[in-house]
Amino acid sequence: MEPLLAFFSEQFGLTGVLALSLAYAVCIGSLLGFITVYAMFAIWMERKVAAHIQVRFGPMEVGGWHGWAQSPADALKLLFKEDIIPSGANKLLFWIAPAVVFCGVFAGFVAIPFAAGVQIADLDLGIFFIVAIASIEVVGVIMAGWSSNSKYSLFGAVREAAQVVSYELPAATALLAPILLVGSFRLGDFNTWQAEHGWLIVANPFMWIAALIYFIASLAGCKRAPFDLPEAESELVSGFHTEYSGMRFSFFGLEEYVSMFLVAAVMSTLFFGGYTLPFNLLDIGNLPAPLHLLGVAVLVVKVFAVIFVQMWLRWTLPRMRVDQVMSMGYKYLLPWALFAVAGTAVWHVGMGG
Amino acid sequence: MGSVREYFSNIANGLGSTVKGMGVTLRHFTSEPPITVQYPRETKPIPPTYRGLHILEQDKCIDCHLCAKACPVDCIEIEATHHGRTLDWHKFTIDYKKCIFCEFCIPPCPVDCIHMTSEFELATDDPNGMVEDLLTWTGLRPEDQAKLEGKAGGKGAGAAEAKPAAPAGGGDVRSRVAAMLAKKKAEKEG
Repeated sequence: MEPLLAFFSEQFGLTGVLALSLAYAVCIGSLLGFITVYAMFAIWMERKVAAHIQVRFGPMEVGGWHGWAQSPADALKLLFKEDIIPSGANKLLFWIAPAVVFCGVFAGFVAIPFAAGVQIADLDLGIFFIVAIASIEVVGVIMAGWSSNSKYSLFGAVREAAQVVSYELPAATALLAPILLVGSFRLGDFNTWQAEHGWLIVANPFMWIAALIYFIASLAGCKRAPFDLPEAESELVSGFHTEYSGMRFSFFGLEEYVSMFLVAAVMSTLFFGGYTLPFNLLDIGNLPAPLHLLGVAVLVVKVFAVIFVQMWLRWTLPRMRVDQVMSMGYKYLLPWALFAVAGTAVWHVGMGG
Repeated sequence: MGSVREYFSNIANGLGSTVKGMGVTLRHFTSEPPITVQYPRETKPIPPTYRGLHILEQDKCIDCHLCAKACPVDCIEIEATHHGRTLDWHKFTIDYKKCIFCEFCIPPCPVDCIHMTSEFELATDDPNGMVEDLLTWTGLRPEDQAKLEGKAGGKGAGAAEAKPAAPAGGGDVRSRVAAMLAKKKAEKEG
């Protein structure tokens, strides 16, 4: 954001509201474009991963090479489909719920440092902001479920509401361990710290527990198997988005993949060095400006590694029961997250850190 | 103590079984090639005893109707005019809306002229197109006509009324079977 503003004032002499709005437009536009392309690729990848895990091919027809154009074709189809609003639905809530769900996750990207300087806003409470803004998604899900005037949708929304209280707590607690060590909520600081000291996941013997717990809890945050209770297609048709169709439906699908990217980016930044390379092989942060984009590539590779594990896990495990999710969150994840935080603190005080 | 042990064994079980399961799926993902086939472009071999579309060797057929009588659903209809042993063919249709592919029509044939092929792609969007004519010609072939005329010369009866041979108006299913059989024959010879 700041480099963009400086660029505008230097090159075109733009300042004030005009420059600010132009910079916002550029940021949002490029992010939306990136997210759309990413989501299409991720959906294709998910289908391919699922297919090959199940010893089949997956989409092979559209576009020629291994069905690469399947996702754009699906998106086009969804774009032209009729937008049905069920009778008895609360039209206003039904109408804005997908937007609320999508915006909540989309806003989280504001604080993600894609590379040194490639960040929309370097918030000093970046992690806090992401954890908080991503929770808005739940409001949208409950709005969607309640306004649909369908029992299945309502059940899906109720499950999501019940699930959120059990995963948010361990997720946020697990994130405290790296925050404790780095001593900052600013996401950029994690990159610089890890460029200096090595990846946080190996910083002490408790950190991998925190990483694992954040990973498990973030799966629940993305509503992915084995925590896809809100959409549980075998029980609830398709959960909170049962009554949605066309473009509005596709927003829920988009949201799932976008939130996968968000949590994977948080995980990569906090535990796996973000946009820096291991052992700081290439000091990306101090390279001349255009080469900062290398950092984007490094981060995207790490993010896709995490996303692949998310997909892999989804096609391995069956869906959990509601009570299993609750006991998982409260009886297993939360105490161990606290243990990891306490262990990190004790370890580094004991080591004289 | 029991519940504490249970708690930790739950964690060990959960992690252990997840890792094991992920090992299985990873093995499938990396080392097992897909077992499905890209159907319209490639097909798995169909056993030779498969009961698909029928095919008729019309020059052998003697119009005895044994196949039609054997048919449990009465889907075969045969019409031909006999000029001695020479047949003036009108129709030999199988209604695939009725046919149950039981193969009961095959064994009774005294001259072994009706067979079932491995052709199974019968889907159509036209229900009236499901009645297939198995004939490769209708009426009389030139050689049949010549035979009849030879006889007629002796007896003086009018064979001139016999229609000239015409290709049968069968649907494309029949031609597909024919093409498939021709291909099979070529493969056998080649």
